[in-house]
Amino acid sequence: MASQKAIFPRDTGLQFRMLLTLFLLGLLYVAFVGALFTAGASAIVMLVVVGGLSLSQLFLSDKLALAAMGAKEVTPEQAPGLHSMIERLCIQADLPKPKIAVADTHVPNAFALGRSPKNATVCATTGIMNTLSPAELEGVMAHELAHVKNRDVMIMTIASFFASIAAMMLQFGFFFGGGGDGDGDDGAPAIIVILLASFVVYIVSFFLMLTLSRYREFSADRGAALVTGRPSALSSALMKISGAMENVPQQDLRQAEGMNAFFIVPTGVKSSIKTLFSTHPPMEKRIERLQRLESSLQAGPA
Amino acid sequence: MGFLDSILGGQKKLKGVAPDRLFAMTTAYVSMEIELGMKSAGSAGIVFQPIATSDFDQILRDAEELLHGTAEEQGSTLTSADDEFGYRWIVLRDPDFDDLVVSLNTLSTELQGGGYGDRLLAAVFAFEDAKSNDSASMPNPSRQRIYFIYNFKRGAFYPFVPKGEKQQRDNERELRLKAQLGDEIPFEEDTSRWFPLWEIPL
Repeated sequence: MASQKAIFPRDTGLQFRMLLTLFLLGLLYVAFVGALFTAGASAIVMLVVVGGLSLSQLFLSDKLALAAMGAKEVTPEQAPGLHSMIERLCIQADLPKPKIAVADTHVPNAFALGRSPKNATVCATTGIMNTLSPAELEGVMAHELAHVKNRDVMIMTIASFFASIAAMMLQFGFFFGGGGDGDGDDGAPAIIVILLASFVVYIVSFFLMLTLSRYREFSADRGAALVTGRPSALSSALMKISGAMENVPQQDLRQAEGMNAFFIVPTGVKSSIKTLFSTHPPMEKRIERLQRLESSLQAGPA
Repeated sequence: MGFLDSILGGQKKLKGVAPDRLFAMTTAYVSMEIELGMKSAGSAGIVFQPIATSDFDQILRDAEELLHGTAEEQGSTLTSADDEFGYRWIVLRDPDFDDLVVSLNTLSTELQGGGYGDRLLAAVFAFEDAKSNDSASMPNPSRQRIYFIYNFKRGAFYPFVPKGEKQQRDNERELRLKAQLGDEIPFEEDTSRWFPLWEIPL
């Protein structure tokens, strides 16, 4: 599901759209599987379909995401500094070298793609390379490499696969449990129950996956600090990026006005809802944890 | 286990610095010199991430003092410099190759003893290649540089032969070196891990 792990997508409009897309995509899967099922397809056929969709997502999502971002793979000649930096981080993290891509945009951002360390791509925008100091950029790239090492893309794909399966299984159970055989009258309400149940399962798993994603961000921050030995460099990078994000709105004013209509929630509730809906933990929490790492580093190895 | 670790974002226990592996360079140098006509460039170095903690600085100072002590007896010199990536190089110069290996081992052992073994990036040995066509007796300053890089995390060596000015490397020569010296030192089998280190100050 989360095919790319962006380090700081504080672009609320884009984030909202992406979330909506993900949500609708998932609903579509469920509706599709549900429709197949009611049409009389066997559970095995459905397993194959869901598996096939997940697999194609696993294998194609990185290319699609790179294309969507307008990112291009760069050779060592085109970006010698970035290549050397990542090579050293790979030695430290004991990883094979990923493909390196650069997206030509002012938005300071970086992300990692690919199902396994051997098929990974890390991408930085020109914006992030211009904004950050070398040590800060190193922290950010180490964060992305930690995603690669933690196999986050694969984890999230598997998580979404099981969510789809769970929804399907629930339908399966209802069909045989409540539907009965040969009793024609029960047919229509059974289908409604099936759809309702799969919808509920889907919504719950959607939030669970977002929560999972936030945990994995913390884990990648930690991994970056361990690899670079400089948690504070990543903290300052995070602060710089989020500051830059706020200073450079990416949305057209008219578009932003329309978007504001969605946020008619009191501020206190709003921020917690925002957390619930985001793939990344709040920045303060991330910095707080990085500072804890720095303190333990300063205290010296046990 | 390693797979589960990576799934859960855990930190795999990295292999410690294996001193005996570093010492493999001493015996390998005999073959390099006699069979391949390679010569030590008289320098070797260690590259690591300096950490901004007080005890790290102290460990580093102790290690350097220790080396300065032995270095004076052996007639070797020690310099340190930070590169553009924020990594620190400690460069040793000594005409005697064995002394270089011993000193590098002392340094890495000190850092590891202080709990900073994970910060070690690599140890690098510099060599001059044999001149193939001209007479070998001619002192030629433009002899091809060959580096052997020891990756502490992997516990293995690999060759690095930079060529020209624009970050290019002589892969053919590197592969030939693996064929020639593969039995002498623990080689990195996975060539995708033969990471270059540009602008080595050796």
